[in-house]
Amino acid sequence: MKSSILREAEQLTLKVEGELDALSAPILRPVIDEIVGEQPKLVVCDLSALRMVDSSGVGAIVSLYKRLRTAGGNFRLEGLSGQPLAIFKVLKLDRVFQIG
Amino acid sequence: MISLQVPALLTYRDVAMRVVSASCKIFAQNLKSTDPQKFQEEIVSAAGEAFNNTVLHAYRGRVDGRVTIEVEPKADLLEIRIIDNGTSFDLSAVPTPELDDLPESGMGLFIIRSFMDDVAYRSGPPNVLYLRKCL
Repeated sequence: MKSSILREAEQLTLKVEGELDALSAPILRPVIDEIVGEQPKLVVCDLSALRMVDSSGVGAIVSLYKRLRTAGGNFRLEGLSGQPLAIFKVLKLDRVFQIG
Repeated sequence: MISLQVPALLTYRDVAMRVVSASCKIFAQNLKSTDPQKFQEEIVSAAGEAFNNTVLHAYRGRVDGRVTIEVEPKADLLEIRIIDNGTSFDLSAVPTPELDDLPESGMGLFIIRSFMDDVAYRSGPPNVLYLRKCL
């Protein structure tokens, strides 16, 4: 799993690539802490290069969303496809994040 | 049947799932009613969650455990067996997550049940989780 952050004006884009699973999700947690700490108005989570996600990976993304919303920020998911999209749909998260 | 045994460590999940994925390609070559890629992805997703659960729960606190993954075609279905000698559990007692509450954990078994046509468990030793999907 590889993650990168792009900061532009009031938007922060978090790109997550590769596989986000029980092994790699803990590595993303400090990145999530850093993002939430900045209190951005909008976070765009770019998952266009995410090949695989499991329930632990989904938990990390949901954690980011909930913490941002609690802090008054907005969140958008982009680029889901393939297996990750199927996982988000089966967990009914396509309605929450308006994807697919 | 295709069988693989690996240490019960998350670092071995990738090799285990590659075997499950390749097994799907072999055994599900003549799928009549469904998309082969979707079939394979759903099985690998479910098996991956089962592998995680075995490592994280059956062998919690241990680094000496081993997991056996078996993939076997049976009549009109494909059966994946996840076998361990760790702590057993009560499949019927695992709560269904409240998806509207946006849970951050506890979704593994829900994913397994959503993608497989039948899920069963036999306490051992060894413990065996059966994942079955119609071909």
